[in-house]
Amino acid sequence: MRRFLSAHDRKLFLTLTGKDLVHMKGYRKYFTKKVVWFLITFVAALILNFILPRLMPADPVAAITGKLVGSTTDATASARIYERYQEEFGTNKPMWEQFFTYIGNLFKGDLGTSFSQYPRKVNDIIASAIWWTIGLQLPAIIVGWLLGNILGALAAYIRKGFDKVLMPLSLFLSSIPAFGMAVILLVLFAVNFKIAPVSGAYGFDMIPNFSWSFVWSVITHYQLPFWSIVLVSIGGQAIGMRSMSIYELNADYVKYARFLGIKDKKIVGYVFRNAMLPQVTGLALSIGTMIGGALVAEIIFSYPGLGSVMYSAVTAADYPLISATTLIITLMVLIVTFILDIVYALIDPRVKAAQFD
Amino acid sequence: MKNTLRQVFHSGKFVAGFSIFVFILLMMIIYPLINPGNPLERIGVGTFAKPGTYVSLYDSVSSDRETLRLADADENRIKSMMSMEDRVSMVAWFTAMDISVEGVDMNDTDALLTMWRENYDEKARPAGMTKAQRNFYVRLNNSITSANTAEVLSVTETNSATGEVVDKGKIDKTDYVNVGDVANVKTLPLGTDNFGRDVLKELVSACGTSIWIGFIAGIVATLIGLLLGLLAGYLGGIVDDIIMFVTNIFTVIPSFVLLILITYSLGQDQRGATTVAVVIGLTSWVWTTRSVRSQVISLRNRDHVNLSKLSGHSLMRIVMTDILPYIASYVVMAFILQVSSGILAEAQLSLLGLGPKTTEVPTLGLMMNWAMLYSAHLNGSWWAYFPVILTIAGISFSMNLMNTGLDQVFNPTLRD
Amino acid sequence: MSKIMLEVNELTTKYITRFHEDVYAVDHVSLKIEEGKSLGIAGESGCGKSTLALSLMGYYFAPLHYQSGDIIIDGKNISGMKPDDVRKNILGSEIAYIPQAAMNALNPTRKIYKFIEDVVLAHDSKADKKDIFEMARERFSRLGLPVETLDKHAVELSGGMKQRTVIAISTILQPKVLIADEPSSALDVTSQKMVIKMLRDMMDSGFIKSMIFITHELPLLYNVTDDIMVMYAGQIVETNNSHDMVFNPLHPYSKGLMGSIIVPEEGVRDQKLTAIPGTPPNLKNPPKGCRFAERCKYVMPQCRFNEMPMINLGDGHQYRCGHSHEHLKEMYADEQ
Repeated sequence: MRRFLSAHDRKLFLTLTGKDLVHMKGYRKYFTKKVVWFLITFVAALILNFILPRLMPADPVAAITGKLVGSTTDATASARIYERYQEEFGTNKPMWEQFFTYIGNLFKGDLGTSFSQYPRKVNDIIASAIWWTIGLQLPAIIVGWLLGNILGALAAYIRKGFDKVLMPLSLFLSSIPAFGMAVILLVLFAVNFKIAPVSGAYGFDMIPNFSWSFVWSVITHYQLPFWSIVLVSIGGQAIGMRSMSIYELNADYVKYARFLGIKDKKIVGYVFRNAMLPQVTGLALSIGTMIGGALVAEIIFSYPGLGSVMYSAVTAADYPLISATTLIITLMVLIVTFILDIVYALIDPRVKAAQFD
Repeated sequence: MKNTLRQVFHSGKFVAGFSIFVFILLMMIIYPLINPGNPLERIGVGTFAKPGTYVSLYDSVSSDRETLRLADADENRIKSMMSMEDRVSMVAWFTAMDISVEGVDMNDTDALLTMWRENYDEKARPAGMTKAQRNFYVRLNNSITSANTAEVLSVTETNSATGEVVDKGKIDKTDYVNVGDVANVKTLPLGTDNFGRDVLKELVSACGTSIWIGFIAGIVATLIGLLLGLLAGYLGGIVDDIIMFVTNIFTVIPSFVLLILITYSLGQDQRGATTVAVVIGLTSWVWTTRSVRSQVISLRNRDHVNLSKLSGHSLMRIVMTDILPYIASYVVMAFILQVSSGILAEAQLSLLGLGPKTTEVPTLGLMMNWAMLYSAHLNGSWWAYFPVILTIAGISFSMNLMNTGLDQVFNPTLRD
Repeated sequence: MSKIMLEVNELTTKYITRFHEDVYAVDHVSLKIEEGKSLGIAGESGCGKSTLALSLMGYYFAPLHYQSGDIIIDGKNISGMKPDDVRKNILGSEIAYIPQAAMNALNPTRKIYKFIEDVVLAHDSKADKKDIFEMARERFSRLGLPVETLDKHAVELSGGMKQRTVIAISTILQPKVLIADEPSSALDVTSQKMVIKMLRDMMDSGFIKSMIFITHELPLLYNVTDDIMVMYAGQIVETNNSHDMVFNPLHPYSKGLMGSIIVPEEGVRDQKLTAIPGTPPNLKNPPKGCRFAERCKYVMPQCRFNEMPMINLGDGHQYRCGHSHEHLKEMYADEQ
């Protein structure tokens, strides 16, 4: 939703994020503050991740055991399974003890055992999926952000016909859900024109290795998921950049610079730099939403990333896997946001200036 | 107020968005009146019937017949019966005869037929072709040119008691029935889905549910956001600090992760459409809070608010008369966006298999989910998913347009 | 007679609104400034004084458009020049501008010395960056501005500091004419004084050859400028030297304007404080006769129909009114 906030709102947000900096001197304190904030949010995420599923009205272990045991009538067998899961889950202990076991296991890097792919460890499943997701989404979001910003800046600068065509188009593009775009691209290019593979991240008959044919297969499988995410994110970013640029183009410093005889080319440079910088925060603030849509798009392509893992975990009621995936995604978003915050403070002097508020 | 409304309805973008939205709403109201019934009723036994008008074959046999001699009837029949294999064989014959097949489109029936009739020669002996193969082509040629041979279908009835087969008459190639005379004709503008349900009827109903979910989510999120934003912005101090602390946490933790955790924890049975809507609302108030807070902060020290404070007006009264009217436009804009992102959130949840209970109502997300589960996108059943995507895009497009229009009215710098 | 730095003849500029209506915000304005002199322009907000400031630069952005008249800077007529030439050869170097809202006049993400570099390079693309920096440093210390300012971003400066920096940047190329549009109105009293002192100082030491100072605070002009011009509804209604304008305003509007302001200067502040009733006319359809007629308490029937000519009393004193100056003085004397 953030991508449609007005330029005025963005300015306000800027000063509000700036408020964190009041009474602070220099980047080091800013950095420390951001690190502390990162840790607090991380702990909050851990707690939520732990507590929300445990608020479930039914006994999760019983539900899962029931599902697993199914038609088995052997009461002792099901009781044994129940006990084992209770042990693993620790549901027979008080809540606080469970929490510390959970945290302890996390710090040991142990995310538990998957139910649906028993006896595979959740760590393994996540580890094999996470790089696909990062490799797909990070470049796609960055490319979408860059293209969107360039188009938005052009629309603001050229106005007239270009703007008249581009803006409704961007608005429409950003209205198509990521999964919708994924399906449309899939049907067009994979099913109808047959110029791209239908699903997966590489040929189903291949074993991952560093041969040329494997890399090529990965590249061809990469295209559709990549472009569907790029296309969807372009629209929102273009709209944001356009209104930000128009806001800056009307700023007093533009008029003043013109009256000092500075060339338009130089002034446009000022404007787009100033409009682009807040877009970095914009990206930081919207990355959570963007990844959400992109994960669902993964499902459409059966791309072996976290989105597909989450999907299969939900379908198989694989509780430890769901919990781990949500945690990892949250952590990824936190890290990206943190990095963007730090980068932003380094490149935009306006953050530094907030000290003087 | 009246003036604002007039200004809003002068904005082309807003009017365009509003019209699309009203059109969708009208469809939702009018279509069930024309075509009443349970949208989840399974009318088809098979899956994914093509869009179009279905005529009862049984009833048409006993309907009144007219004899029509239409010049192109035979031609049409041949064309409709020409299978892909036939076409491939035809092209193979051309190739064997060294006739250039460059630029021949196998889907262009007319061109292919003309070419065949011009070139086919029963007596020709293409190199390397066996007699059996040549005979195949003779048969193929006959079936293509044999339209003038009189073939008549006979209709029989099997007596269920005796098993006796009774001749009920003949059907000639020139026999026609009027569709209006056939007792049972069903138009399925968007065919049926994987369960054999009428897609259009389902879509209209799903659209209603999804908009309902969006509205509930929007109302919940806007109310929470407005309340927290007002408190934080107006009271400031420790209240502001606490609210902003919580808000900042939920800004960074992706709301859809929370959504997944909560809906999963609720379990399938607890998830009605309204419950899902409320959960979506509960996880998406962050932006409204921030937006309202920043607006209230900029209003807090304005003269008219100070005047009210000095006049000893109650907090409630100041908020209602001196603050709310000034942020109303922002709240409305935020609400519109919440509605459209609520609809999207439901769709994404449903695609993950965490949508509302499947037995009660269809939603746009569930329809999408079903279509994907039954590979509609891979087997060419575009009617099962494309209208759904278009509807979601249409709803959010209309809302985004309305929002942009409002933005231009209330933030004059953005005007063209 | 010393050299004339700026001469404006019958300059008319207009705004074209969204509905394609013409609004003449500067209507046949003529003025002259000699070297070393300064001119104050006063009037209510919306009288066209800020538009005049923009128009004088000879470079127009929509919705402001040039209509007719000449702008001659140091003998060079710039009103016929191509916009790009004006931008390259006139703006910033010959005629410079200090904007109304200096708070936002500087690019927030560019360091001050970088911005000065941009300004100098725009007029002399071969200038050496080191020289520019040296020059800027010298100028800043000469004007009493901390040299560290150069290495800061605009956002790091306080309001008064920003305004003084803007003045230093505007005058970096020693322009022949400086146009200051309410440079001090947004500042606190101390900063205001510093800004005024700085402008005077620059006039005295020849960094600027002449100055136009625009404000709605008449008494400020009394301290700063040699002559004062009063504008009403896009036209000049009276021009005189500062002393006479403040103590003996002739045009009923000038008189009203003086009467409506609390003046801290001795001798002036005893005057009765009165407000001018009514609002200025809509410039989309200006009245046929005297534009002030609706609000004037000395209005005569013919004032509403006859176009008012400018009456020259010599010695740089001009006014635009249907009454003779003797009659006006009599009427004012009767009132006392």
